[in-house]
Amino acid sequence: MSQRIVIDPVTRIEGHAKISVFVDDAGNVSGAEFHVVEFRGFEKFCEGRPYTEMPGITPRICGICPVSHLLASAKAGDAIMAVNIPVAADKLRRLMNLGQLVQSHALSFFHLSAPDFLLGWDSPAAQRNVFGLIANHADLARAGIRLRQFGQEIIEVLGARKIHPAWAVPGGVRSPLSKEGAEKIRAWLPEAFATTRTALDLFKRVLSTHQHEVQLYGNFPSLFMGLVAADGGWEHHGGNLRFMDSSGSIIADQIAPKDYLSVIGESVQDNSYLKSPYYLPLGSTDGVYRVGPLARLNICTHMGVSQADAELKNFKSFGHGAVTSSFLYHYARLIEILASLEWIERYLDDADLFSQDLRADAGINSLRGVGASEAPRGTLFHDYTVDRNGLLQKVNLIVATGQNNLAMNRTVAQIAQHFARGPEITEAMLNRIEHGIRCYDPCLSCSTHAAGRMALLVRMIAPDGRVLHEVRRD
Amino acid sequence: MPPPAATPAALLVIGYGNTLRQDDQAGPAVAEEIEAASLPGVVTLVSPQLSPEHAEAVAQSRGVVFVDAQAGPDQEPRLRRVRPGESSQVTTHAAEPRTLLALARDVYGRTPPGWLLTVPAVQFGFGTELSPVTRRGIARAVEKISRLARMKLAGARRP
Repeated sequence: MSQRIVIDPVTRIEGHAKISVFVDDAGNVSGAEFHVVEFRGFEKFCEGRPYTEMPGITPRICGICPVSHLLASAKAGDAIMAVNIPVAADKLRRLMNLGQLVQSHALSFFHLSAPDFLLGWDSPAAQRNVFGLIANHADLARAGIRLRQFGQEIIEVLGARKIHPAWAVPGGVRSPLSKEGAEKIRAWLPEAFATTRTALDLFKRVLSTHQHEVQLYGNFPSLFMGLVAADGGWEHHGGNLRFMDSSGSIIADQIAPKDYLSVIGESVQDNSYLKSPYYLPLGSTDGVYRVGPLARLNICTHMGVSQADAELKNFKSFGHGAVTSSFLYHYARLIEILASLEWIERYLDDADLFSQDLRADAGINSLRGVGASEAPRGTLFHDYTVDRNGLLQKVNLIVATGQNNLAMNRTVAQIAQHFARGPEITEAMLNRIEHGIRCYDPCLSCSTHAAGRMALLVRMIAPDGRVLHEVRRD
Repeated sequence: MPPPAATPAALLVIGYGNTLRQDDQAGPAVAEEIEAASLPGVVTLVSPQLSPEHAEAVAQSRGVVFVDAQAGPDQEPRLRRVRPGESSQVTTHAAEPRTLLALARDVYGRTPPGWLLTVPAVQFGFGTELSPVTRRGIARAVEKISRLARMKLAGARRP
């Protein structure tokens, strides 16, 4: 008898995002589907508005990664104007994106994921929290908050607001880095480096005792996609697309983001509005790809800064070709924080960042513009089509969480296959599936804020619709 | 040394919600009106959602009001005490008031009295237009916070 397990996180506005685990007649897990909110409504809402408003509107999609939408939107505007933005504007946008990577990755690592693997998968829920973290790892939680604040400070210094800064615009940015702002960032850097190094040391110790998790948490062959520089180096705001397979072979390279539709297709799942992107030439089954920190570190040859490059070398030693375990997203995230800090330090000494030549001006020279940027969770595309007056006729947003959707399905299935014990939903399985999803740091709260803590409803359902077992975690 | 991230307040008002999801903007709208009123000792924060770094400002305040939109049968804003949760674990990108109070307690060693002020909300589509019930609720919510702020300043312990 086939059965289905449903994990159903309830949010107030978006409705349901849920996980369904399918069980075959023999009682074995045969697959899983993870459904998340989709953005088609937002895309529709923007039609008819001037494209110049989009950098002000689209950051409202998300309270955690608004800068990613801001920058991708501004880049799409650059393309509509068909301008090359000033060098200073490009560097300033990059600086803000680095701050964004730091703050978002810090939230993911220190608050969402670390309590699980530092305190144990089977420890009581009441202890698997920040209090437990403090009790066992003094100052780490506080340092994690400080590191996130550091990233937000950079965003605020540049954009005058921590969240939703109306700073990047089509053609460039509104204001340079101030000397005072630069000194503020510089003064905070040593603490940020120290926290990151502590976290890296800690995670490496975790890795030595968590080989089981490395093997089971989303460890499967897939493709990896992201932006790379012309020389194959780590990229987060420019460059072109690269696809790599799990053997480490580059299968597509230097694809201009505007041509993303030549390499990315979108499949549709039953019971979900969310489209699941895949590598078009291989189809939706074989073309599953992952984006985000794990992918970015897989596809790049170097990061261009010494400390992170040393860590990158160690990271790559976990793979034969590409690193395929999603548990190592955590490690990749910490390495990206380190790289971001090194790049931020370098930028502070760059005179371009204080330039007043910040904005190119032009009319509408192209009726379509695509902007791509590396958001913390992966490559973000904003694709706008406008009329001669610059009013939006069509908007297409491809976000990281959607691109990781098929990989998250496989991750949940892999974990469930190992921990499912008949029709009963165990605490052990729930804890691990939750963490498997956290490896990707999906943005479930995008478009709105969640109504408090996400409730988890896990159901095992028979083909006739009977609920065989149900567990709710509030 | 990096600067401290928060300003101590007699009463901290955190309005949260998505300003482009119609009535969901009620929390930010209330906080912005309170900010415009320049009430003595009152500091406001506006955010699309609650997140861990807010715990520092919460810990430094002498009282905190979380203002959020809420769908449901209520026609009037409701002010109620909210106490720290047992767990300070943040499980998604968005925290909730009791988690933030717990986080302030666990990470900074201090948590102030907290209140949750919910503003009735009925429509959450894309857009900036408020429903009449939420528009009315925002005005009433501002009155409630103003009263609470006066009581806090006067040394009252409960609203």
